[in-house]
Amino acid sequence: MKMKSPILLLTDDLLLKIISLLTDDTDRKSLRSTCKPFLHLDSLLRTHLRLLHPDFLPSLLPKLPSLSSLDLSVCPRIDAAAVSLLLPSAPRLTRLHLARCSALPPHSLRALATACANLQTLDLSYCTSFGDLEAAAISAAACLRDLNLDKCLNVTDVGLAQVAAGCPELERLSLKWCFDVTDIGIWFLSKKCLHLKRLDISYLKVSNESFRWISGMEKLEALQMVGCGSVDDNGLLHIANGCASLKVLDISRCDRLSMDALCSVIHGHNRLLELHAGYCFPELSMSFVDQLKDLKSLKMLRIDGARVRDSMLKFISNNCKCLTEVGLGKCRVTDTGILHLVTGCVNLKVLDLTCCSDLTDSAILAIARSCRDLLCLKLECCNLLGEGSLNHLGSHCRFLEEIDLTDCSGINDIGLKYLSRCSELVSLKLGLCVNISDKGLSYMASNCSKIRELDLYRCEGIGDGGLASISRGCKKLKGLNLSYCDGVTDEGMAYLSSLEELSSLEMRSLRNITATGLTKLAAGCRRLAELDVKNCKGIDDSGFWALAYYSRNLQQINLSGCAISDVGLCMVMGNLTRLQDAKLLDLARVSADGVEVALRACCACLKKVKLSASLRRLLSPQIIQTLEANGCKIRWD
Amino acid sequence: MDPDEKLCAETWVKSSSGHESLNTDSNNRPFTDFDRHHPKWEESPFNGCGVRTLGQQFSGFEGSFASDVDSQRQKKDLHGKQIPEAHESGYMQNWDPSAMLNNLLFLEKKIHQLQDLVQLVVGRRGQAMNQADEILVQQQQLITADLTSIIVQLISTAGSLLPSLKNSESLASQLGQFGGIATQLAGVTDNVVPNKMEDRHDPTGVSEDHDGFKRDANLRMHMRGHGDEYKTPAALAKPHKESSSDPIFIKRYSCPYVGCKRNKDHKKFQPLKTILCVKNHYKRTHCDKNYTCSRCHTKKFSVIADLKTHEKHCGRDKWLCSCGTTFSRKDKLFGHIALFQGHTPAIPHEGAGAWPSDQGQSRSEATNKVEQLDFNSCQGLMEVERSGDDPSNYFSPLGFDTSSLAGFQEFPRPLFEDAESSFSFFLSGSGDYSPKNGRYAAPNDLE
Repeated sequence: MKMKSPILLLTDDLLLKIISLLTDDTDRKSLRSTCKPFLHLDSLLRTHLRLLHPDFLPSLLPKLPSLSSLDLSVCPRIDAAAVSLLLPSAPRLTRLHLARCSALPPHSLRALATACANLQTLDLSYCTSFGDLEAAAISAAACLRDLNLDKCLNVTDVGLAQVAAGCPELERLSLKWCFDVTDIGIWFLSKKCLHLKRLDISYLKVSNESFRWISGMEKLEALQMVGCGSVDDNGLLHIANGCASLKVLDISRCDRLSMDALCSVIHGHNRLLELHAGYCFPELSMSFVDQLKDLKSLKMLRIDGARVRDSMLKFISNNCKCLTEVGLGKCRVTDTGILHLVTGCVNLKVLDLTCCSDLTDSAILAIARSCRDLLCLKLECCNLLGEGSLNHLGSHCRFLEEIDLTDCSGINDIGLKYLSRCSELVSLKLGLCVNISDKGLSYMASNCSKIRELDLYRCEGIGDGGLASISRGCKKLKGLNLSYCDGVTDEGMAYLSSLEELSSLEMRSLRNITATGLTKLAAGCRRLAELDVKNCKGIDDSGFWALAYYSRNLQQINLSGCAISDVGLCMVMGNLTRLQDAKLLDLARVSADGVEVALRACCACLKKVKLSASLRRLLSPQIIQTLEANGCKIRWD
Repeated sequence: MDPDEKLCAETWVKSSSGHESLNTDSNNRPFTDFDRHHPKWEESPFNGCGVRTLGQQFSGFEGSFASDVDSQRQKKDLHGKQIPEAHESGYMQNWDPSAMLNNLLFLEKKIHQLQDLVQLVVGRRGQAMNQADEILVQQQQLITADLTSIIVQLISTAGSLLPSLKNSESLASQLGQFGGIATQLAGVTDNVVPNKMEDRHDPTGVSEDHDGFKRDANLRMHMRGHGDEYKTPAALAKPHKESSSDPIFIKRYSCPYVGCKRNKDHKKFQPLKTILCVKNHYKRTHCDKNYTCSRCHTKKFSVIADLKTHEKHCGRDKWLCSCGTTFSRKDKLFGHIALFQGHTPAIPHEGAGAWPSDQGQSRSEATNKVEQLDFNSCQGLMEVERSGDDPSNYFSPLGFDTSSLAGFQEFPRPLFEDAESSFSFFLSGSGDYSPKNGRYAAPNDLE
């Protein structure tokens, strides 16, 4: 008999308790890969599952007794057959994520909604072909509380009424980009769904009338109305006089609103926690700033795009001491303004200063000194910042997780050396920083091992050496942008291949990459889900063969402008069974027949494809019809 | 004699019998009870419609006739009213029985006078149809004048019956409640309509009609029908308080069908406003529906105008409720579903041509096609499986021109990776490509 490991002598209860303390996904993965007993215990605990292919459903579901949340949004194609696999365990599901599952026919959606008697959260966002039939199907899930219908383009008032009448318990509803929903639908919603707490009607073409009805929703806490271009002050005044529980208001990009109307909203709701008013007003008015003093508990304020005077920022900082997030993108604030702001708002965690190009190192010094808890700083296009700024940040902001330095031409290797002291960094954006080199990257890589997202777009000084240090230091890297970094060669790809977590890689126009490099990459990075090799002319078919062979998890691919042939394309499209999104423009070596065969090969899983307009006549109408019927969106360019 | 006349007679009997019960009315709001016990609904000879008049001297015999009756009733009312008041009043000491007896005798005389007058009216009524309008008006005015003087006397005498000033005041106030115009003796009124009813039909004076208009434009439109002389600003202006001292006539009609809500005997009686309303109401509610829509052959109507209205939009009602009701307008449908729990807007299935978008239809067609295609690929799969392990078999159904796509192959997969089939490439492509020329073959050509 084999000797058991001592840890397995513990009872299952104790082990479960220990395992439940592991929160990180990768740690859990390591655990369950260790041995079968651990796998078993882990599956007992598992409540959430994100599947890559529906075929796993029948084998996995019985093994996961506590599963209550299922995410099928990254599956290639969810159809009636997949749903029938799901039905037996449907009653225990409370959350279901079906984003981009356009292929689901209404009758199986109805069957699913009926079977999921305890379903509370349903996400159908970006099912662009969904309409009233599907909405009617959802309405069978009577205890639904949270529903996301973003970009279900064909949902009209009728569908909304079906949902509102069928699911009276709804608390959160998102109707973003449901362009066909009008005032009357909102009216009906306000009559039937009395428990609504969160409503997103962004980009709807609703008029002021809708806001009269919304103002009657007593429990509404968050209202997102981004880009409602038909709403003017009268609509906002309805909100000012109603919505007693309102805490979050997003009126970004509503360009017909005036500051006065917003003032009256604030006047009526002094318990607001978040106010998003980006790109609404050309300039902030003093009366508005004065009104802000009522909002003692305001946590988030975004006023991007509005000109702000220094005195106003002083006023804000004196009155809204609780602010943790401030958005001042394109507000053209000055150093003095920032100084005023941070003296009061010392709790700032997120600060967006995108395109505030007048800022200098002294502003960053002020921020770094005052806001020790800063987590996220966006400084895109702040050209005057130099290494001094990063020095201050590195010395004071030890918790910084995210920094955006895109297009900050003053950033150099020394600056990165300073910045590398922020060892908690998760996301680093250095796009268009032409003055950094491999040396700078090596500083970052050696100290910031937690980096998951790195943007090196057009960092022309970067070569294989930088990638070598990254691949050594940042083992957790998930997303990398190397587009137009001409210095990168196959050798660099070989380094990258050691990044097991890498799932998204953008490498446009890397002329020095050949099939060898791509092969190495594909063989190493097995988790790769998104790949953009647009205009990588050096890669030939053998590289794509390797891709087709290894990258089984690939979901999105951009092959535009590549030297791929008919066979290569068919190989890629046919063998990558999880491919959902393909961009296939300017393929000089691919014939129309080749595209046809390739599309045929993957028409069952493809959700979105971009083709050149000239192919429209050359492809058979049959394949186009089939694609569209499968819920695939074709964009002709 | 037609049945209407009989009805009329019955009413008279009823009304006279109703007087006795009046004596019990001594509270502040005698109207409701009064209404119930004392029907003052004259059945007009028009097609079985009841005519009710408020005030007097309307544009014909009916008016004076009605007011005559009213005054009679009023007088009886006063008479009856006084007795209980005397009983409970503390002013009984000043009461002079002999004077009262004189007064009562006088009243009796006057009542006879009135009766004669009414008989005269009834007698002339038969001829009225044949007479010229002017003569009719003259006669009516004469009778009205007579009536007025008699009623004035009646009321003043009735007032003197009361033992004290205070009591007469209270009577006057009661009179005021009755008629709304206590001082206007000529306006012996018949305020049978409950107050809230009055509120609803706010009489915005059109001199002949008693329809109120909320909008000026509506009033002007209405006045076109009355001729040019009514188009002057003065005619269109809101009537002043003074002009309202002229008796206001509100005619209300009752449906002859007993038990109908529009019948005067109904507890929650809702009168009809015009004779046309009565006509249409009676046809719609109490008659057979003989006109059938020639388009849908389901909707039936008893009023031809209704049929015509329906035919205008028959088949165009595209807004459908789950309960089967159709609506021509979306907001009407939504109002309906908001009102009734459990009703939802219906989404018609394919084939419902009336639905505005046929998107559902086209999609389901497409889905059918997909199913066909899937079926084909299943066949393809079986074929591949049968053909064994030789990879070259995989190529045959693909139908590539092998010279251009040489070397195409399916990679073998490690077993642990996915449970899914490794044939997926061929599945979709295999069904429709014929090996020889790369063109599509019909599904039948597969085998």
